[in-house]
Amino acid sequence: MNFDVQEGEVFGFLGPSGAGKTTTQRLIIGLLRNYNGKIEVLGKERSNWGKDFYEQIGVAFDFPNLYIKLTARENLQLIGAYYKNKAEKPDEMLDRVGLLPEKNVRVENFSKGMKMRLNFIRSIMHNPRLMFFDEPTSGLDPVNAHIIKEIILEQKKAGKTVFLTTHNMTVAEQLCDRVAFIVDGKIVTIGSPKDLMIEHGKRVVKVEYQKNGTLLDQDFELKDIGNNSGFLNILKTSEIKTIHSGEATLEDIFIKLTGRNLL
Amino acid sequence: MRLLSATWADMRFQLKHGFYLVYVIITITYLIVLSFLPENIFSVTLPLVVFSDPSVLGLFFIGGIILLEKGQGVLMVLVVSPLRSQEYILAKVISLTIISVLAALAITFFGQYPTVNWLLIIISTIITSAIFTLLGIIINAGCNTVNQYMLKTIPYMLLFLLPCLSLVGFPYSWLFTIFPSVAALKLMLGAYHGIYWVEATALTAYLLGFCYLLLRLTVKIFEKEIVFQD
Repeated sequence: MNFDVQEGEVFGFLGPSGAGKTTTQRLIIGLLRNYNGKIEVLGKERSNWGKDFYEQIGVAFDFPNLYIKLTARENLQLIGAYYKNKAEKPDEMLDRVGLLPEKNVRVENFSKGMKMRLNFIRSIMHNPRLMFFDEPTSGLDPVNAHIIKEIILEQKKAGKTVFLTTHNMTVAEQLCDRVAFIVDGKIVTIGSPKDLMIEHGKRVVKVEYQKNGTLLDQDFELKDIGNNSGFLNILKTSEIKTIHSGEATLEDIFIKLTGRNLL
Repeated sequence: MRLLSATWADMRFQLKHGFYLVYVIITITYLIVLSFLPENIFSVTLPLVVFSDPSVLGLFFIGGIILLEKGQGVLMVLVVSPLRSQEYILAKVISLTIISVLAALAITFFGQYPTVNWLLIIISTIITSAIFTLLGIIINAGCNTVNQYMLKTIPYMLLFLLPCLSLVGFPYSWLFTIFPSVAALKLMLGAYHGIYWVEATALTAYLLGFCYLLLRLTVKIFEKEIVFQD
């Protein structure tokens, strides 16, 4: 496996369970020591980093890791105390993910979504340069998932690097500058979601229209579409219902490349 | 600083999970039972009770604490934080030692034991608590359930506590002092029944050395089994 992640990039690591995503992430984070090859992180070989490495990275696992008998605020305080970079405004962060009213509530009384949100801000409160998020929107309703995605994009804007592991192709498409598809421990393709979607899609426009009370659809080649009389004729004479270009979705690409469904 | 924060976090954790309450209840129960004992039995039983607190109870407490941390996934977060393994382990030792010392002092004070070397009680409780907390962390390293921990604890308990019976005295029984638990109990009994300062110093030095080596071993095992699962 050979890949690089640029500073300030959101890099998506996509693949089915057992493909090697977690192992790769564990290697980069430093939880697996015996490896062959090179892993250079933040300008240094991984095995040469000590515990100071963790001052500069933030990790949010795909399940909440919280002191359940402590309140939201206590959780942030206790873990935050281990970092040199202290969270300046924990209440603001809690407010950002809608947890300020519950800051003094014990985590055992939180829903899974609330725990995931708290888990997420706990992983970034020390202002890390490099972040690892595993299914960051798992268990969240669309509104809260949107907030988390917004925060991730803000981090990117601030020049931070994000390593995102997910099964959620929509999240990957919305957030990632580049994605890598992993199957059986190998990267089968890597690139920007948009480029991949165009590369693996059909160069057609699908038009759905109504004529004489009947719903019809037709595909037209994208090439020279402006001079395609059939296409222009439909636009002029029919009631258009939908028009879609034929780029592939990330899920289509995955199935095409691996012959497997995302699990 | 991180060590202080970790100790504070552990104390909060133990308090919220009711460990302190359990200690208070056990201490009160001990005091009630001790108050009914005749003088000659009381003078032997009280030091043994004080010794059992950081050893037997401590072993179960540390097991419970780490299993709770594992269950809540907190251990994973600590592993990817700047907190060093040694700091994590020392925080456990310090936090549990603090309650052990408080319990030992409370039992001795309220039990109204007539002759007491308070300094020696504190020293022997700290050492005993450290040994058994470290032992608990070692035992716990490969465990995920309470049952696993209990089963794995038995041989360690036998190894450390059975030799303590040598203190009843028989030819060459002094050889058993090589067992740290026996040395610690000797020190503890000395705090109540009197001990030569040379012997107390030698036992303390021996036990401190043992604690240091045990700490190094605990860090090694903790990193192998918990931090790096490779």
